[in-house]
Amino acid sequence: MKAKDLKFEDIKKGDTAFFTVTVTENDLKKFAELSGDYNPLHTDEEYAKKTEFNGRVIHGMFLGALVSRFVGMELPGKKALLLKETLEFKKPTRVGDILTVQGTVIHKSESLSLLELSMEIRNQKELLAIGSAFVRVLP
Amino acid sequence: MEKFNAIASKAFNIELEKVRDTLTPKDIPEWDSMNYLLFISELEKQFNVSFSMDEVLNAKSLGDVKKALQTKK
Repeated sequence: MKAKDLKFEDIKKGDTAFFTVTVTENDLKKFAELSGDYNPLHTDEEYAKKTEFNGRVIHGMFLGALVSRFVGMELPGKKALLLKETLEFKKPTRVGDILTVQGTVIHKSESLSLLELSMEIRNQKELLAIGSAFVRVLP
Repeated sequence: MEKFNAIASKAFNIELEKVRDTLTPKDIPEWDSMNYLLFISELEKQFNVSFSMDEVLNAKSLGDVKKALQTKK
C-alpha cells in the first residue's frame, strides 16, 4: 500500500477523497490488543447483547485510526502531519460493516501549509461518525 | 473584536474575560506552536483572510495578531 503524494499547491478548497474498508473480526481483536482496551462492549458478545447496543461495537478510536490513514495515505498522503482530529460518534460500528471514510478540504491556509478537512464515516446504510482533521502538508 | 477574542479563548483554553491584547505565549500555557497554527487557521477561516508567513512568525502577542488582522479589513 503506497501513500499518495499530493503537494500543498495542488490541493484546493473543496477537494475530496475517500476509501472503503470492511471491518473484520481480526481488526477488532488487533485493535483491542494494540490499545489495551478490552472493554466487554467491544470484546464480549454475551455481555454486549444485554446492553442497549444489542451486540459488540467497534472501538471508536478504530474510526479515529481510519482518519489517520485517510490523511496519511489519501489526502494529502505522504507529506501529511496530523495536528488535530475530532470525531463525534453517531451510530455504532459493527464487525462486517463496509465503511466509507471521506474527507473534504474546507479550509486551506497558505501561510501555514495547513488544511482543515471535514470527515465523514458511513457504513452501507447510515452515517456513523463526523469530525475534522487539521493537517500540515510538509514541504 | 469580540469574535477575535472568542476564537482566542477557545484556541488557547482561556476564559473569555481574561483575553487581552497584551497576552503572549509566556502568559498562556496552551500557546504552543500547534495551538498557534490552529488559532491562525481558524482566524483565516472565520474572517475570510490570509496571513503572510511574516505576519504569522513575527506576532509576539495576541495584539500583534489582531493588528495584522485589522490591516486586512
